[in-house]
Amino acid sequence: MSVRIILSVLGGILLGYYFSPEYILTNTDIIIDIGLCILLFFVGIDIGKNKEVLSRIKKMGFKILLIPLMIIIGSITGSMLAGLIIDLPINESGAVGAGLGWYTLSAMMLANYSSELSTLAFLTNVVREIIALITIPLIAKYIGDLESIAPAGATAMDTALPMISRSTNPKTAIISFITGVILSTSVPILVPIIINI
Amino acid sequence: MGIRLILYLAIIFLGGIVGYKDLVHKTVVSKMNLIQSLCLLSLLFIMGIKIGGDKKVISSFFKLGYQAVIISVFSIALSVLFVMAIKKFVIDKDEEEGDENEC
Repeated sequence: MSVRIILSVLGGILLGYYFSPEYILTNTDIIIDIGLCILLFFVGIDIGKNKEVLSRIKKMGFKILLIPLMIIIGSITGSMLAGLIIDLPINESGAVGAGLGWYTLSAMMLANYSSELSTLAFLTNVVREIIALITIPLIAKYIGDLESIAPAGATAMDTALPMISRSTNPKTAIISFITGVILSTSVPILVPIIINI
Repeated sequence: MGIRLILYLAIIFLGGIVGYKDLVHKTVVSKMNLIQSLCLLSLLFIMGIKIGGDKKVISSFFKLGYQAVIISVFSIALSVLFVMAIKKFVIDKDEEEGDENEC
């Protein structure tokens, strides 16, 4: 899937760069808006299907929710801090960080704000996923199990879950899944809020 | 953006109800994944066209790549640090107190 995603974006970039199809370029905002709504509907269905998450949270104790909360605060403050270094407005860098590793959704949510920021969101969250997959085993070994969930962000429930599961234990894998579900639900809420700060 | 956020939340909520109540028939679920993938890939293709059509973005692609690395490193570092702090001061502490109570 990741290869297909990269190929779709690259194919689009090449078409846009060499042919600049006027009809599509003038209508991209409305197409992206409609497509985003359809995509969010599917996101909702996926979240709704995870019925066991709530019962697992109750079983493990609500303090487990502090982990996704800390990942959200850490990701957003970290990206805002990076924004100060690279001279980017903090609402823009914060919104990119609020993508929490979900590069497709965050990039699309920012596409109508600016193409530059949308590209930055895509690249940042792709890089985050790559760094996460490299660092998860190292963090699990040298820092701690729960800390190894942090780099994954929203991908803690899917792409990064096998890596976390292999590097830690079954309990951490369950916490990772719950964290991923909560973070994935937060992305479509956080990105529009932070970009408008 | 306020209205947009409410719209996004309403759509996710609606999807959530559909998913929770299993309103989508099992035979449709497998096709749904295909529809979801096609929808995502075509949207990314359109997003790519928008990016490619903006010559300013293409000319600053390497600058954006460098910024992406800085932002992702800082995001990861601070989220790991924050989880470390909450683990040390809340989760581990609660478990220790729990163990003492059990004794």
